[in-house]
Amino acid sequence: MTVHTPETVQESPSTEHEHIIVCREVHKWFGDFHVLRGINLNVKPQEVVVIIGPSGSGKSTFIRCINRLEEHQRGDIIVDGIPLTHDVRNIEKIRSEVGMVFQQFNLFPHLTVMENITLAPIHVRKMKKEEAEALAMELLERVGIPEQAHKYPGQLSGGQQQRVAIARALAMRPKIMLFDEPTSALDPEMIKEVLDVMKELAQSGMTMLVVTHEMGFAREVADRIVFMDGGEIVEVGTPEHFFTNPQHERTKLFLSQIL
Amino acid sequence: MASYVQTSQAETLAPPTERYTLLGWVYKHLLSPWYNLVLTLVGGLLLYAIFKPALTWAFTGARWAVIPANLNLLMRGQYPAEEAWRLWAVIFLLALAGGYNWGVWSKTVGPALITAFAIPWLLMLVPWFSWGTRLNLLIVEAVGLVGYALGRITPKQRSQWAVYAFLAYLLAMLLLLRGLQEGHPTLPMVPTRLWGGLLLSLLLAFFGIVFSFPLGVLLALGRTAERMPAIQTISVLYIEFIRGVPLISLLFMSQVMLQLFLPEDFPQIDHMLRALAAITLFSAAYTAENVRGGLQSIPKGQYEAAASVGLNGYQTMRLIILPQALRAVIPVLVGQFIGLFKDTSLVALVGLFDLLGIARVILANPDWLGTQREVYVFIAFLYWIFSYLMSYSSRRVEEALGVGKF
Repeated sequence: MTVHTPETVQESPSTEHEHIIVCREVHKWFGDFHVLRGINLNVKPQEVVVIIGPSGSGKSTFIRCINRLEEHQRGDIIVDGIPLTHDVRNIEKIRSEVGMVFQQFNLFPHLTVMENITLAPIHVRKMKKEEAEALAMELLERVGIPEQAHKYPGQLSGGQQQRVAIARALAMRPKIMLFDEPTSALDPEMIKEVLDVMKELAQSGMTMLVVTHEMGFAREVADRIVFMDGGEIVEVGTPEHFFTNPQHERTKLFLSQIL
Repeated sequence: MASYVQTSQAETLAPPTERYTLLGWVYKHLLSPWYNLVLTLVGGLLLYAIFKPALTWAFTGARWAVIPANLNLLMRGQYPAEEAWRLWAVIFLLALAGGYNWGVWSKTVGPALITAFAIPWLLMLVPWFSWGTRLNLLIVEAVGLVGYALGRITPKQRSQWAVYAFLAYLLAMLLLLRGLQEGHPTLPMVPTRLWGGLLLSLLLAFFGIVFSFPLGVLLALGRTAERMPAIQTISVLYIEFIRGVPLISLLFMSQVMLQLFLPEDFPQIDHMLRALAAITLFSAAYTAENVRGGLQSIPKGQYEAAASVGLNGYQTMRLIILPQALRAVIPVLVGQFIGLFKDTSLVALVGLFDLLGIARVILANPDWLGTQREVYVFIAFLYWIFSYLMSYSSRRVEEALGVGKF
């Protein structure tokens, strides 16, 4: 039961060149468990798509497929015109175009904040150290913690760590940012500081895919909301549509449980 | 109505302190309640029973003359006396390279540094050393300070010089120890069969560690490389085979059996080299398993974060995974290296004259019959000093790197 049937996708080839992410009939299994059951989703540049759904619905797995942290087994994913295949060069290319922010921050604990941010620009983009550090300071200003540059991640609060993680991803100048439940591991009083950074990022025109349970954020920032359940996309629509007039029973049930 | 809600902010109190007079401390910790008194008495009697005869022997009965009479043998085996300056040169260079590394990596003067500089002074107090030895120790101290000062003024961007200094030291050390060729005017060759005593023990341990460490890391990476089943299988077979046999059997294999398997006209391979190879191969298998433990302690999120910023597999290992994994296993690795140092004494059983081998030679000399206790206590003390030094410096390194802090 998907809203996007293959027919609706076949209409899109004419517009495909203007989509930065194209997913066609994406399937994935963990062993025998069918996690993703034919996901069709196209994302335009500068669009903010929020993915919601109950736990185990495959939403995290889906966005992890987009930078190949998980491998999809059937269907196509095309990111910025590059198809995701087994070709390692394509994977590395896509990963340097797509930034990711994790639930558990995953900062490198043995490196300072500055080193966390400059590592990839220096080693992947071959940027000069001074240049990378200037960029890092600029990004730390942007996420509001320039004074923490020379501390280690373990000395920062959760909210500060997550903002460093966002700066680290932005340092690669990605075209797309993926957020995998970025506020779920945070204490309540730190959620806002991270969401504020994400809002600013959305306003600056970044293409974003956000898996979250923050309905306030979804309502305010999303261009489209995708509701996933049982490994498929059940309903897609504007926040307006979602919170006032959900069509599908499963969507209604989910929203009634969390709102 | 009485309220249980605080009406003003609670004041900050100083933490509780316990202060004792000396007698109060003795009473609290040793004498009360009654079973502590009993334990104190029993413990005291036990200490007396052990230490009285031990100290009586050490100060009145022992024939310590055996040590100074054979000190050169114990220190360097049959290494010719006229070439002994080369050993001192090796130690001077070690002080220079070590002091330089220290200056580069650690910019603070801490208790560890003071300890390091105190060691030569303490050694000067050893009653059996000659004035020449003491003078040389003074030079060690001076050269170490020069190296440290050079390290301090080396700019931070040039830290790799410390590594180059260490590698250059390895080459210089081999050149000095072995020499060029037979009959060379300044550096005549000293064949390895003349190397012995503490010199040989330390060299076997040092090169065993230096060679087995990278080999062990490679084996650990091989064993965890799930995408390369051939390499993984070879690593597993190697590690499990080596761990399944005792070191002494590998030593016998290398010293006795190896030559039997080789063609008759095959040149003799150096005995020390063979022993070193056995020790290295043996230690590498254990290093590999220890490092694998460190690799497994790194959460999956670190690999994912590294991949998500575009690092390739090699960069991920070198920049993210290995630095964290190795830091986590420093205590285990040092424990293993201390074990390796003491295990080098097994080479005495296959005919090499390391510290233990030389001790057995001395004891076979009719002049020194019946001095087993003196000689063995002395070499045990030497083993203890070097093992404790390793253990002490590893704790300092752990502190400097913040092991266990995050």
